[in-house]
Amino acid sequence: MKKFDILSTATTREGHNNQMHFLGRCFTWAALIIICLVPIAYCIAAGVAPDWKTLGACMSFVAGYWVIGLIEAFSYAPLLGTGGQYLSFITGNVANLKLPASLNAQTVAKVEPGSEEQEIISTIAIAVSSIVTTIIIAIGLIPLALFQAEIVEVLKPISPYVVPAIFGGLTMALLAKYFKAVAIPFVLCIIICVVGNLIGLGDSLSQSTMIIVGMVLSSISTLVMYKLGKV
Amino acid sequence: MVESYAIIYVLGAIIALTIILMSLAFLFKALKRAKAIGMDSKVVTETIKNSAIFSIVPSIPIVIGIGIMMQFVGLAIPWIRLTVIGALQYEILALDAAGGTVIGADAKTIATAVVIMTISIISGPLFNAIFYKKYQTKLLELQQKNERKMNAITGALLGGMLAGIMSSLIVGGFFGIGNPVTDAGTGITTYGEITLITLAASVVLTGICGIILFVGKQKWIESYTLPISILGALAVAFLFVPVFA
Repeated sequence: MKKFDILSTATTREGHNNQMHFLGRCFTWAALIIICLVPIAYCIAAGVAPDWKTLGACMSFVAGYWVIGLIEAFSYAPLLGTGGQYLSFITGNVANLKLPASLNAQTVAKVEPGSEEQEIISTIAIAVSSIVTTIIIAIGLIPLALFQAEIVEVLKPISPYVVPAIFGGLTMALLAKYFKAVAIPFVLCIIICVVGNLIGLGDSLSQSTMIIVGMVLSSISTLVMYKLGKV
Repeated sequence: MVESYAIIYVLGAIIALTIILMSLAFLFKALKRAKAIGMDSKVVTETIKNSAIFSIVPSIPIVIGIGIMMQFVGLAIPWIRLTVIGALQYEILALDAAGGTVIGADAKTIATAVVIMTISIISGPLFNAIFYKKYQTKLLELQQKNERKMNAITGALLGGMLAGIMSSLIVGGFFGIGNPVTDAGTGITTYGEITLITLAASVVLTGICGIILFVGKQKWIESYTLPISILGALAVAFLFVPVFA
């Protein structure tokens, strides 16, 4: 049997990939177990049980999130790379932090799509981003515990504008490279958003919904262009 | 403020430590592999520096999210929820579904909300733990067999993501002019005018950095373009909030 040594440096891309999968699976299971311990520990500490009736009533809500989670895991995988995928789906904030961090690093490093260099740069960017975010959140707890009301009052008004601040610049940086892939779904998404808002469905067309709509439309338009030999 | 139990803080610390260990393990393996295939160490160092700087500003709304949630469920639970896959808007919806968006909610309501929050987000990591390796192997096979097709797929997914977010921001911004929207759960008000101004400021600042890079031949600015445009655009948003509020 071939020896599998997680500490050694892999000599092939396949070997490196296997090591990343091994690490990713171990840490994912460990994190899932700890995450699931939180409600159990809370119930024991508070001496209460959840309201089973309310839980039952919320199952359609939960099922909706399961579907969204699966679609996201499936569709972000080709963009994040092996290490990035495992890390992103434990630490969260994929579309507004981990993926932009990875794309920014790839643009600056000028790596080829699909290359091993791209995979490595994406993993490094997402790992560093996860460490920085976890530390900032932990440090942020101290002032929050002392001055929660003041901090929230000062910073809350600008929090809805972080996503436009990221994606204005990021789109500019990526537009030249992905213009063909963006143009058609962008026009279609604009039409959907305008019509949705005009008929009163604007609240349903959140950024997370439109990401999925955009990916579906973009896949269809790119498939047509691929068949026609345009991409 | 709602009471937070010591055991929840302990679990929060274990989760934060697990995430840091996981990130360090991946970072270590990626750095070793980068060296093995002869990647330029300057590029690798630049990536680390760049990603660290880039991640600071987008992390701040997460801290604000904890501040918003802690009035309903105490400090420890939002810390855990927003350190892992949770996001403020999803957590508030789960809290609302359990009847927990009321200051002074009882322990039973909070327990129900935490169960809903936890089980809602496990499908993504479960997919990774069980199916991702097989799925990724298929993606790599496709990459080797038909590079053009794989590049078209990744381009389509990325293009779709950008198209979806940008259309939502632009159209939402236009329809929000003179019609600010306040989220019932978080109490955060979004002004369409400021969304559009922030977006425009980010684009303009990126353009200015591009001019400095290509015309002024200042290569150093390439690594800082995105952090500059994010910080600058948020500063513009900060200035305009009192104008519209």
